[in-house]
Amino acid sequence: MLTTSLGVQARQLFWVLTALLSHYRRHPGQALAMATGLITGVALWAAVQLINDHARASYAQADQLLGAEARFWVKDKTGGGISPNTYIDLRRAGFDHLYPVIDSAIRTQQGGLVSIIATDLLALPLAGNTAAGINNPFAATDWLALIQPDYLAWYPTMLAKQLGIKAGDRLELAGGQQLPPALIQPQSQQGQRIFLDIGAAMTVLDRDTFSYLAVGDMNEQRQAQLEATLPANLSLVKNQQALDLSQLTASLHTHLTAMGLLAFAVGLFIVFNAVRFSLLARQSTLTTLREMGVSISLLGAGIALESLIWALLGTGLGLVGGHLLAQQLLPTVAMTLQSLYGASVGSSIGITPQQILLALTMSLLGMILALAIPLWQRARQAVRQQRDNSARWQQDQHDINVMAGGGLGLLILGAMGYSWINTVEQGFIVLALALFGGALLLPWLILRVINVLVKQLPTHRWLARWALSDAVAQLPHLRIALMALLLTLTANIGVTTLVGSFRTALGDWLETRLSADVYVQSRQLDLAAIATADWITHYHPRLGADLRWQGRPASIRGLKLDAPDTQQLALAEQTTHGFEHWQRSEGSPTDILANEQVHYLTNTPLGSVIQLDTPAGPQDFRIVGFVYDYGNADLQFYLPRQRLLALWPDAQILGVGLWLKDPNAITDIVEQMQGIGATPGEWALQTDIKRVSLAIFDRTFAITATLNVLTLVVAGLALLAALLAVHQQRLPEYAHWRSMGTAIPQWLVVIAAPLFMMLGVTLLAAIPMGLLLSWLLIVKLNVIAFGWTMPLLWSWVPVAELSLLTLFIVTLTLLVAALRVRQTLPSAIRELSGSLG
Amino acid sequence: MTFQQLCSTTIKTAASVLLLLTLACAPALAADDAYQLLRGDPQGYAEVTVGKPLAFPADHQPHPDYRIEWWYLTANLTDAAGGHYGVHWTLFRQSMSSAPDPGGWSSNQVWMAHAALSTPDGHVYQQRFARGGIGQAGVGINTLGHFDAWLDGSRLTGTSPSPLPGQLQFTVEDYSVTLDMTADTPWVLQGKQGYSQRANLGQASYYYSQPHIKVSGRLSRRSLVNENVGHKNDDESADATDQTIMLTGLGWLDREWSSQPLAPNQPGWDWLSVHLDDGYALMVYRLRQRDGDDWISGSWIAPDGTATTLTKDEIIFEPIDTTLITTKGNIQRQLPLHWRVSLPAKDLSWTVTPMSQDHWLDTAFPYWEGPVTLSGTSNGQGFLELTGY
Repeated sequence: MLTTSLGVQARQLFWVLTALLSHYRRHPGQALAMATGLITGVALWAAVQLINDHARASYAQADQLLGAEARFWVKDKTGGGISPNTYIDLRRAGFDHLYPVIDSAIRTQQGGLVSIIATDLLALPLAGNTAAGINNPFAATDWLALIQPDYLAWYPTMLAKQLGIKAGDRLELAGGQQLPPALIQPQSQQGQRIFLDIGAAMTVLDRDTFSYLAVGDMNEQRQAQLEATLPANLSLVKNQQALDLSQLTASLHTHLTAMGLLAFAVGLFIVFNAVRFSLLARQSTLTTLREMGVSISLLGAGIALESLIWALLGTGLGLVGGHLLAQQLLPTVAMTLQSLYGASVGSSIGITPQQILLALTMSLLGMILALAIPLWQRARQAVRQQRDNSARWQQDQHDINVMAGGGLGLLILGAMGYSWINTVEQGFIVLALALFGGALLLPWLILRVINVLVKQLPTHRWLARWALSDAVAQLPHLRIALMALLLTLTANIGVTTLVGSFRTALGDWLETRLSADVYVQSRQLDLAAIATADWITHYHPRLGADLRWQGRPASIRGLKLDAPDTQQLALAEQTTHGFEHWQRSEGSPTDILANEQVHYLTNTPLGSVIQLDTPAGPQDFRIVGFVYDYGNADLQFYLPRQRLLALWPDAQILGVGLWLKDPNAITDIVEQMQGIGATPGEWALQTDIKRVSLAIFDRTFAITATLNVLTLVVAGLALLAALLAVHQQRLPEYAHWRSMGTAIPQWLVVIAAPLFMMLGVTLLAAIPMGLLLSWLLIVKLNVIAFGWTMPLLWSWVPVAELSLLTLFIVTLTLLVAALRVRQTLPSAIRELSGSLG
Repeated sequence: MTFQQLCSTTIKTAASVLLLLTLACAPALAADDAYQLLRGDPQGYAEVTVGKPLAFPADHQPHPDYRIEWWYLTANLTDAAGGHYGVHWTLFRQSMSSAPDPGGWSSNQVWMAHAALSTPDGHVYQQRFARGGIGQAGVGINTLGHFDAWLDGSRLTGTSPSPLPGQLQFTVEDYSVTLDMTADTPWVLQGKQGYSQRANLGQASYYYSQPHIKVSGRLSRRSLVNENVGHKNDDESADATDQTIMLTGLGWLDREWSSQPLAPNQPGWDWLSVHLDDGYALMVYRLRQRDGDDWISGSWIAPDGTATTLTKDEIIFEPIDTTLITTKGNIQRQLPLHWRVSLPAKDLSWTVTPMSQDHWLDTAFPYWEGPVTLSGTSNGQGFLELTGY
């Protein structure tokens, strides 16, 4: 009995579903619009999600190298290297869980920087290097060639592409050396680095020490034994890279997630739009079904099933698209992470069941919101409410007012929430409130503008008045697409302003920060020779030591007071005469300068007394100034050189900046440089460093630009879909106009003018909203996320560019729509005459 | 009680050396194929020839102009309570090219060490690798003028330029082993005065052994509480004193070097070395041929070290049955763990039984190597090695 009734219900449900879906057979355009919206939305969101997850998974592996654990590091206390003899002694003492690593950045002949990672594959403490081990570096085909002269250099695909390296090529270094022949073959945890055998690295880079020794996991007893065995100049430190990386990169990922969600929202707008247009056409189906006695619950089940089918489709194709897109975008993100944070991100992306489930949930929620709810509302009204034009018009007015009210509410909420922003996530919530509030107000704003214009227009301008009144007719159909466009334009203007402001600030800052003509990094520098060289006017040895402060990586630098860059130090803030006091080192506790990151990332106000660990124990300092330090992911403190040497006697010279008597002779200083102990390849020109820094910057924001363009394209699609639907629906109306003698040019004016008017209002609204967005991003989010401030620089150029681009997309859209109308109008007219006849 | 047990399996293990290289060269090769390296073209390497006299202590040192070489030690030991312990320690050297070794970071020598231990609790093993030229591994004469063979902390040191008398030290997992070894009898030159032929196609190696090594030493296990219970942060219990066991028994050292120890039509070998209770020692091996009769050879060694080379006609060496064992990755392997050995001319016959089936080494070059007992005309203990399964 029960089975039979279930069977009947299932059959009924099947027929309801068939009836519902038959709509798309009759209106493939709407099906296409829905699929496009859903799939592109899911794809963009999934791409960002996949990249984020992938990057995070890579950080978790930061305590591994080529599958071997690196839970600890053995490092030289003074920042020097570790001699092979020390390493061999430790191995022979039975510490076979440590292995040598060379981790360095080298300059190529073209002036770029590449990261090198080298180790001894044979010495890696791999868990089970059996013949078939997947993570087994020995399994690499060219293993023998890797460790034997001429050696090999293993490049990840992306890096090879970027450097223009093909298999067998040798990369030329600034010092004239060549890396071994290339093999395009990424290893796990290699990131965007070139992998070399350690023997090759020692030989090619002419080194006699390792950067550090990596150590696998040990129990405390073994750890104590190792510490007791280490020579006095070495120390065992815990590898906190995995933790540090997750912390450092958190805001970048939040940023990406926000962009992904925006793309998803825009995609949903398209779906919502398509559903809205389908409602009228489906009204009759729903009514018929209800009249045939289909219960409202069965209809609900049918609608739910339809949403599920769409969600499955969106998830499946969206994930495929997202994966393809992620593969395309990953290299850029990986480069950014490598150059900004030193994070190694692997090059192949996988999809996990969790990600599929999350994508399905997102699609399902999206479809419930955009498809099921409107359809359900319509189904419930199906029988009682008949189609009534004036009622609909009133309904539209009402809708627009409700939306405006909601928008205003969101804006007020956002304004109230502004003062509570403490984290990047909260910042994005306020941003979302402002953006969606603004978007919801847009239809109301357009309606107001129309009303004002109608009042202003003299009665004899009949065509214009007609166009305006047609705008009122078009608005309900286009308003969602316009809102999506507003969101996209706002995001574009906001992000472009952010990036532009950042680039200018960085450029200016580099001018003052990098004022020396040449920077030298060499262990054999002869400081006495530098001090007396007549071709050098000033020099500044960068003295420093690494620290941890408040659980974050930090460093301390000793500045030479008479060096030009110390004199021009760009201070964001200082206590009264703070800089002079700092120079004289008179204060007690000692005056210290810090970068802005210390201020904002750790909430440390000016004038605070802080404690840093010196080799002699904790020591108090008073912060008397904050220094601009764009793009630095680490906290940094500054002391006068002598003071630093007194407190950190082990501090190392990290490099020396030289100001030349004749900066023009800069290309001709090889001999002089050798005179002070530097060998070719050990120095870089200021202009090159600036160029590399800005190149890194541009690469960092390449993904932003890509996502910007992609969302704009999605919004363009939304508008196209809406216009096509609008015109399809209004064909009978156009047929009337034609039969009443309206000429095609007139018709075009009536159709296009309202569109451009509405577009104009949208664009104008996007400007203040974009400004608001960039202001929030720069003043709030950037400071919270990265810890430094910068001025907001408004430029009309990107706005103008964007307007032109939008105009182009809309014109194109309009043309496509008009073309469709022209093709289908004759048959509509025939239909009209048929129905009249 | 006959605690003295000798066992040694030499040549076969050599293959392991190559395994290491194999993984390097052939990512997805099956275990069987890994042994391909042992069949590699010896072109450019020094050739193994008949009639070249071996000289000591010089030949205890490496021969880098030959492709592959090993120092291979096995021992059957017992503790005071009669519990059995098997020790298996090897050091392999491999030349990656036939060119002279440039040394330093460019060295073309690669080293591999295996250490395995059977205890009443089970079987543990470890493989380690090292490049030559930087001092991490090698065989040489140390500053005291003594023989020294090492890889990381694992080492065999003599008290003279000879490895015997000497001391073996190594760790495997949380066990630490130190064994003192002496031998009174001369080195046994296998085959024809140290020239050991492996196939009809000319494959051969230089091969000599010391079958009569007296071993005494100790085995200690690091703080069990700390490492095995997993309470890494435990306080005093982590300092639990090491558990030390004194061991005695018999050992067998094999030395072998070659440029092509295996013929192309030989998929692997079975190897047995035994210490008999009456003081005699026996070594037999079988190189399996894909096409035709297996290559069988051996030697019969008197308590005074006098050795007689056994030819194929003088030995019966055949499996009684096969045993199905499952190794890592759920791979099923049929292994001949039980054997019949006879020397008909001497009217001697034994059956060979493994002390435990669980002695598969899932290393880069996988093989079975473990202690066995002999019963029959006389009783004894030894080591059995099976490769290419």
